[in-house]
Amino acid sequence: MNSLQNALFEKETVFIEDGESKEEIFKSVAKQLLGKGLVTEDFLDNLLEREENYPTGIDLSVINPNLPSIAIPHTESGFVKTRRIIPIKLIKSVEFKNMIQPDQKVEASFLFMILNDSPNEQANMLADIMDFLNQTDLEELKSFFELNEEKEIYKFLATKF
Amino acid sequence: MVNILAACGAGVNSSHQIKNALETELSKRGYQVKCDAVMVKDINKNMIDHYDIFAPISSTSLGFDIDIPVVDCGPILYRIPAMAEPVYKKMEETIKSLNK
Repeated sequence: MNSLQNALFEKETVFIEDGESKEEIFKSVAKQLLGKGLVTEDFLDNLLEREENYPTGIDLSVINPNLPSIAIPHTESGFVKTRRIIPIKLIKSVEFKNMIQPDQKVEASFLFMILNDSPNEQANMLADIMDFLNQTDLEELKSFFELNEEKEIYKFLATKF
Repeated sequence: MVNILAACGAGVNSSHQIKNALETELSKRGYQVKCDAVMVKDINKNMIDHYDIFAPISSTSLGFDIDIPVVDCGPILYRIPAMAEPVYKKMEETIKSLNK
C-alpha cells in the first residue's frame, strides 16, 4: 500500500447499487458524482455511449472460476474532474458486453469505475485494478466481493489495494 | 523501427496499458517498436497508413478498410502472462511478416 494507491479511493465515493441495468446504475452513480463536483454534466451521456461502443465487462473466471465478473466503466478525461476509482457493489448482477470479446456477455456484480482526468498520467489505473485482482489472496477476494457495506468495502480496498 | 497503433474507446486507460506492455515485452524480445495510444474515434485512414500494425483491444470497425495487419491485444489487459503470451507471439509473427 502506498500513498498514491490510497489516494485512488475515498470513503464518500463507495456505492452499493440495486439497479436492474447498467443504464440505471450509471444514472444513479453519475448523479451522485455530479453532485460532488467530480464529473461534468455530460459525463453520464458519454459514459453510456462509450460503454455501448467500447464495452468494459471483464470475465474473471479466467483468473479463478469462483470469482464474479466485473466491469471497469470509464470515459474520456474531458468529462472527469478527478483521478479516482469508484467501487460499486451491485446487489443484482447486470449484463455487460465483454471488453475483449464484445459479442459475448458477462454478468457483472462489481464495478470499478475509473475516473481519470490525467490522460498522460503514467500510472495506469486499469493495470492497478488487474494487479489487485491477480495478486490478492483468493479467499480474501471472494470475501471482498460478498461485502455489503460501503465502509467495509472502503476499508478492504484502503488496506489491500 | 516498427510503428504500432494501439486504440481503445477512451484512449486513457486500456490503450495505454497495451502500449506499455507491447513496448516493454517486444523490446525484451529484441524488436525495435514504437507504439502510440489513441481513441478509436480519432483514427482515420490517413493516420493509420502511417503505422505498420493496428493493435485494438478487440475486432474494431473503423468504417473504412484497414490495409495494415491487425492484432487484437485485449488479453494483455488481464496482466496474466499466460493470457498475454499468444498476443505477443502473434505480434512477433506479424512483425516478422513485415520484412522491415
